[in-house]
Amino acid sequence: MTDVAQGPWARAKHLGGKPAPTGHPVTFSGRRGELFVRLLRGYLLMVPTLGLYRFWLTTTKRRFYWQNTLIGGERLEYTGSALQLLIGFMFAVGVFLPIYLGFFYLSFQSSTIAMIGYGTAALLLWFLAGYAIYRGRDFRLSRTLWRGIRFDQRGSAFRYALRRFLWSFVVLFTAGLAYPFMAANLWRYRYTHTWFGDRQFSFSGSWRTIAGPFYWAWGAFAVSVAVIVAALIGREPTTIVWSTILSAAVGAACFFYYRSRETSRMFSAVRLGDASLSVRVKARSLFGQFFLYGLSLMGALIVLGVIGFGIATAFNTGFRPTEFSAASIARAGWTGVALGVGGYLATVSAFTLLGEVFIDCGFWMLVSRGATITNIASLDSVGATAEDASLVGEGLADALNVGSF
Amino acid sequence: MPLMGRYSDGITATVHDVVLALDKSVARPELIIADASSYDEIDRWPVDKVFSLPSHKSELRVGVEGRPTGARLVFSGPEPMAVAHTLFPELPHHRRRESGRELRLLGFSTLALVSVVAAYVFGVPLIANRITTLVPPKWETDLGAIAEGQIRQIIGIEGGFAFCDTDPTSLANRAISRFTSEVMAGSSSPFVPTIDVVRSEIPNAFALPGGHAYYFSALLDKTETPDEFAGVMAHEIGHVIHRHGMEGLIASSATGLLVGFILGDMTNVSVAGAVGATLIDSRFSRDAEREADRFAAATARRLGFDPAALATLLERVADDSAMSQSLAFLSTHPLTAERRIALEEMAEETPAPSRDPVFSDAEWRAIKTMCDRTPANQVPQTYETPSVRIQSMPRN
Repeated sequence: MTDVAQGPWARAKHLGGKPAPTGHPVTFSGRRGELFVRLLRGYLLMVPTLGLYRFWLTTTKRRFYWQNTLIGGERLEYTGSALQLLIGFMFAVGVFLPIYLGFFYLSFQSSTIAMIGYGTAALLLWFLAGYAIYRGRDFRLSRTLWRGIRFDQRGSAFRYALRRFLWSFVVLFTAGLAYPFMAANLWRYRYTHTWFGDRQFSFSGSWRTIAGPFYWAWGAFAVSVAVIVAALIGREPTTIVWSTILSAAVGAACFFYYRSRETSRMFSAVRLGDASLSVRVKARSLFGQFFLYGLSLMGALIVLGVIGFGIATAFNTGFRPTEFSAASIARAGWTGVALGVGGYLATVSAFTLLGEVFIDCGFWMLVSRGATITNIASLDSVGATAEDASLVGEGLADALNVGSF
Repeated sequence: MPLMGRYSDGITATVHDVVLALDKSVARPELIIADASSYDEIDRWPVDKVFSLPSHKSELRVGVEGRPTGARLVFSGPEPMAVAHTLFPELPHHRRRESGRELRLLGFSTLALVSVVAAYVFGVPLIANRITTLVPPKWETDLGAIAEGQIRQIIGIEGGFAFCDTDPTSLANRAISRFTSEVMAGSSSPFVPTIDVVRSEIPNAFALPGGHAYYFSALLDKTETPDEFAGVMAHEIGHVIHRHGMEGLIASSATGLLVGFILGDMTNVSVAGAVGATLIDSRFSRDAEREADRFAAATARRLGFDPAALATLLERVADDSAMSQSLAFLSTHPLTAERRIALEEMAEETPAPSRDPVFSDAEWRAIKTMCDRTPANQVPQTYETPSVRIQSMPRN
């Protein structure tokens, strides 16, 4: 490893992976089963409420994550409500109506004008996504309480969106090579404008923090792509198959290796006054979450298949599993169509629900359980600040589908 | 054993271990919060102002009115929680009121959304119709030109459709344009429909917004009488006059907005959104098909051809199998059997006056053989629905 391994990360490594003795470990007391029950209940309630229950589901889901995260023995508290999310979404609809009307108008124009118009709208949405991400973060942080003191995101969502927007093109034109610079820049902007009460966060990382893992992963991925290209030119079927399998494995390994390193190193560069955060996430643990997701998904699809087959047989719909196609479903008549639509919804829900239980919750568990805080006593002197009641950004994040947790 | 808890004042980020006692000597009972080691009093909370906050099941977390919003008392473990509950007998009522409020909010917003959806499903055909009259005809003509370009790309014919007969002064084309202007006679529509017979293996006919309609050669092959041909053309001109293409576009834009609202994805990229929009839209297009059928029937009465001939052709082309019946609710077209009944009823209302046939024998022979002369161009094997909504006639 290079000189990038500094700070708590290096210290933790020195001690054989154990947290420094002065550090207070962050703990997470939640279980996946509990989240699963909350999510399942929420998904089902979304049907009779025409989707409106999603604001309540988001709230209950956040309460689950916040309440189960203990820092220095104190649980986090989520103070946001479903009504706030609902109002925020109404605002977002107000933002989207003009865009919608614009699209509508464009569809009457000549194809050149329409193409320019659609392109502009796509860029606008890409910009807006950055804005929404920042405002969403603001919403969550300003509704997070620890030791009775509120977090906050200040800074300008517009400037953040502009940075993200411009950097994303630099990354695109450099074939990804500029990514560590973008990541460091955005992380720094986010954290230097994050506050706990009257104390400001800081970020000690730079592009060098993740340069090593990133360029290794980038290089390995580039080589594996080159191998596939070479195999395709060679036109030897067995070589193509083997090089594809090999490259896919290399690509996956790169992903887990890099993502674990970025998470560990970037979070470990976060400071709050004299207190500092140290996070260690292992690539194999990250892989483990995806592996569990794959297994659970297989299980869920088998269960759904059996249930569907059971219903089809019980209603004697004439459904034959040997010719599984749209036509065979349709031949079964109305029950067949209902079964098809229901099965489709159940399958899509299984994907997202299990994704939340295994990938999202798994990530939260890994980060929180791998986190330690040094000099937590220095936070005793933090004071409270005035309320922040912004709503709009969170609704926008919801509308643009960029919300997380 | 005294009740122990953890207290934060909402002003500084410190958590005190506290011991609690109830002072009933004052008019309104107060909770005395004192430091657990020194027994120094820190604060007094009026008991009736205390409210509970959602928290982990292993702890009871309360706040109080009239103090900083972050002021908290936390009781961990079953025993302190049970004791604390006896101190605050009002808490369950508070909580019930709170959840009652949430439930009402959810209920009312759902009801509001249901009424929006209902107003939409019943109101949009009417509103779309009104809005359509506000859209300048020029826009619709331009839209038709764009749609035509897209359809050409999708169908993949180089240089556009292969016209069966490119000579506008041929007997067949003159007969078609004479029929078109007869249909349009007395109409206040700003559009001038043109109908072209083009080479395609798909038995279909459709009209684009702005008035350009196409009759495919495969459908012409299956068309056996002049009345059938006239029926289809009148149906397509009906779409043009009623501006169904425009109406459909307005309706589906509104549907996209509504479905996006329900799913919370305003970018409308999800598959579920597309399915939902299709389900609602099909209702409107079926109404449009019925309206075009009524126009065709009225035209048939006026010009003296058999309105039911359209249904005869539909039956020949379409196949009302069990599959298409069960999928009919997804389809943009009413079932053929249903349309036949409606068309025959319209035919019976006023018997057609006896007149000259709509096309002379010579004209009909010329039309039937329009596509026999030109060599087959690249004929598409598959046909996908173009991205711009078009009003299509029979299909398999």
